[in-house]
Amino acid sequence: MSAEDIRKPPKIAATEQMKQLITNYYIEAKTTEEKPICWITSGGPVEFLIAMGVIPVYPENHGAMCGASKIAVGLAEVAESMGFSQDLCSYARLDIGGAATQSGAIPGGLPKPDFLLCCNNICGTVTKWYEELARFWDVPMFLFDTPFIHKSKPGHATEYVKQQCLELIEFLQKQTGKKWSDDRFAEVAMLSVEGVDLWKEVLKTAESRPSPFTCFDAFIHMAPIVTLRGTQEVVDYYKLLRDEMQERVANGVGAVADEKYRLIWDNIPIWYEMRNLGNLFASNHACLVADTYTTAWAVDIKIEDPLTSMADAYTKVYLNISIDLMLDQLIALIERYSADGLVMHSNRSCKPYSLGQYDLARAVTERTGKPALIIEADMTDSRAFSEAQTRERVDAFIESL
Amino acid sequence: MSGEALERLMKMRDDPYAAARAWKERTGGKVMGYFCCYAPEEMIHAAGALPVRITGENRDTTASGAHLQNYCCSLARTSLDMALDGTLSFLDGTVFVHTCDTMQRLSDIWRLNAGFAVHADLVLPVRFETSSAWDYMTSELASFAEGLEKELGPIEDAALIESIKLFNRNRALLAKLYQMRLASPGILPYDQALWCSTSSALMDKAEHTALLEEIIADLEAGAATADGSGVPLFGIGSVMDQWDFLAMVQESGATFIDDDFCNGRRYFDSEVPEDVPPVEGIARRLWGRSSCPCKHVPSKDRGACLADRATEAGAKGAIFFQFKFCEPHAFDYPHVKKALDKAGIPSLNLEFEQGSVSIGQLRTRVGALVETIKA
Ligand code: SF4
Ligand code: SF4
Repeated sequence: MSAEDIRKPPKIAATEQMKQLITNYYIEAKTTEEKPICWITSGGPVEFLIAMGVIPVYPENHGAMCGASKIAVGLAEVAESMGFSQDLCSYARLDIGGAATQSGAIPGGLPKPDFLLCCNNICGTVTKWYEELARFWDVPMFLFDTPFIHKSKPGHATEYVKQQCLELIEFLQKQTGKKWSDDRFAEVAMLSVEGVDLWKEVLKTAESRPSPFTCFDAFIHMAPIVTLRGTQEVVDYYKLLRDEMQERVANGVGAVADEKYRLIWDNIPIWYEMRNLGNLFASNHACLVADTYTTAWAVDIKIEDPLTSMADAYTKVYLNISIDLMLDQLIALIERYSADGLVMHSNRSCKPYSLGQYDLARAVTERTGKPALIIEADMTDSRAFSEAQTRERVDAFIESL
Repeated sequence: MSGEALERLMKMRDDPYAAARAWKERTGGKVMGYFCCYAPEEMIHAAGALPVRITGENRDTTASGAHLQNYCCSLARTSLDMALDGTLSFLDGTVFVHTCDTMQRLSDIWRLNAGFAVHADLVLPVRFETSSAWDYMTSELASFAEGLEKELGPIEDAALIESIKLFNRNRALLAKLYQMRLASPGILPYDQALWCSTSSALMDKAEHTALLEEIIADLEAGAATADGSGVPLFGIGSVMDQWDFLAMVQESGATFIDDDFCNGRRYFDSEVPEDVPPVEGIARRLWGRSSCPCKHVPSKDRGACLADRATEAGAKGAIFFQFKFCEPHAFDYPHVKKALDKAGIPSLNLEFEQGSVSIGQLRTRVGALVETIKA
């Protein structure tokens, strides 16, 4: 394939608004004098913070930014020199290194937290990571404990998580000195649902052929739904993005020139390599139409009973269920998006996402007849990545389709 | 080596699962494997089955490579390998306790591939010290017991109470043995003391208890047989099963005086209270015992706790013995090390993988630690 064959993918116009939104958010977080700052895990119940006027800050989102801007390794090395093993999750390492040096992808590093909210529905790693942050910053930490689901969720697990919602409210009242308002929370929950629904509509447009965007675009445009759901800005933003994507569908505009193959991505992006990988697939006319990562934020909340449904939704997320339950979701994705195959990033940093992929890959092929490719890498630590080998494997995989 | 009982127990170390296989042949009963020492062994025992702890072994893995990436700890990789190649074929089932991300996924992979009849998950809370976590924990233990009953037969309260008494007796004896060694390390080399504790999770509890009673009586009667003059060290880690390493430490002029290994002190510390209903008693022990890095226990600072324990034991140094790729322990390391530093206890951080421990390399590092302490 010659270079001329690779047509530049059309630019998503809404990207500018998204950048503005995220920039404004970080500026507010860095400069606020009255609003408390809470560091929160990516799967955490942010609606409670928004309802209490707390600014949520996501070390994982910042980790992704550091990965994409290729400063992650340097920060991780700081943590390693403090005694943290190189085998630990690289988000945690670079965050600890960033905290210690007050640096990162944001000038001066992330704003100091007043308290921490750690939800272990994505991994046990965050529990250990936030324990370290609590020691480092000397601030209180709330662990929102969501029991892992191997088969089905027992009633006492739902009750436990629901009770923790109430404990979290207590915690936030104590930390902020403000009173909790059910009405305000209902408002936030409503906006969250609206944002999530719009995000789902955006993702749905990729069901059309050609797909108007790739998962590499979704990785970038998911930032608002992860960080700021429950706000009006997010709702407005996703309306804009949805309209643009729907317009593309109506006009038959595809993200990849002459889309021939449709693939599903599994695991966190390889942030430092995303552009190259995107080009590599695009040059092979392969479009990564959906992924298991950005769909993880499409959780359901029922407005009639926000606490119970939130307890339920936050416990059932993709990384908190067994691999058989994950398999059902993967297969559903493949069918829904008429995909021709699966690309799995075996991510050295992330055990809950990666262990089990070998079995999943085989099971997917067995059940759907679609092939799976496994790429060994790390989401931000580029020392664990071989570009040449990956190219070779991607080329061979697409050849086989 | 002093005494016939100890000799018998030590022989088992060459084939750790021989006792379980023999038990099964003799009794026709069911053998239940489990990984984490938060597993409520008494429940398995009260149902008439033999609980046996699986902790991997030194081996080059083959079959498990198709299921687990090489950035997964060797405990998980070698255990799965043992299940897949038939080494664990004497098991009727396995109990998984929510421990870390690796164990959680190993449970799924095991259930789908290892082919044992019974598979049970116990998802304990990660967050301790709140009433909602306590309620969840007791409900989860009760429903775990119900699940076990379906597979293994009824767990009568009376039987459970008897099991608890037996296990408590065993714990008390192990604590006594460790205490005796603390007072005079020369009575028993550390690796043998640790094996006394480790083997307790590998064989019939009554039999093990009887052996322990004999061993302790022999030790009380006999003179010191080991060199107790070595530099006293404190051991920190999850499972410690590297017997050659421990022999090397002894040769290097040091000895572990106490530990925080989960097949050592953490296996037998604290007893199940006997004055409350049995399931509640079991929950209380799990709730209150010294914590594993996989549990979030805000009121206890693990660094300070370990530094205090090492100081109380009179340790002059500490060795972290960590499974490579083990996140919970690796995250705690810098903090615990700092606490030890503050207490004036120099330490060494060793990382290892079962099957590729190079004693030669470790010898130099252990030797250097011993020299620092002596200097
Ligand atoms: S990358 Fe994986 S291990 Fe790291 S914080 Fe995210 S979910 Fe946890
Ligand atoms: S706690 Fe550590 S050693 Fe144990 S299974 Fe988990 S990662 Fe492996």
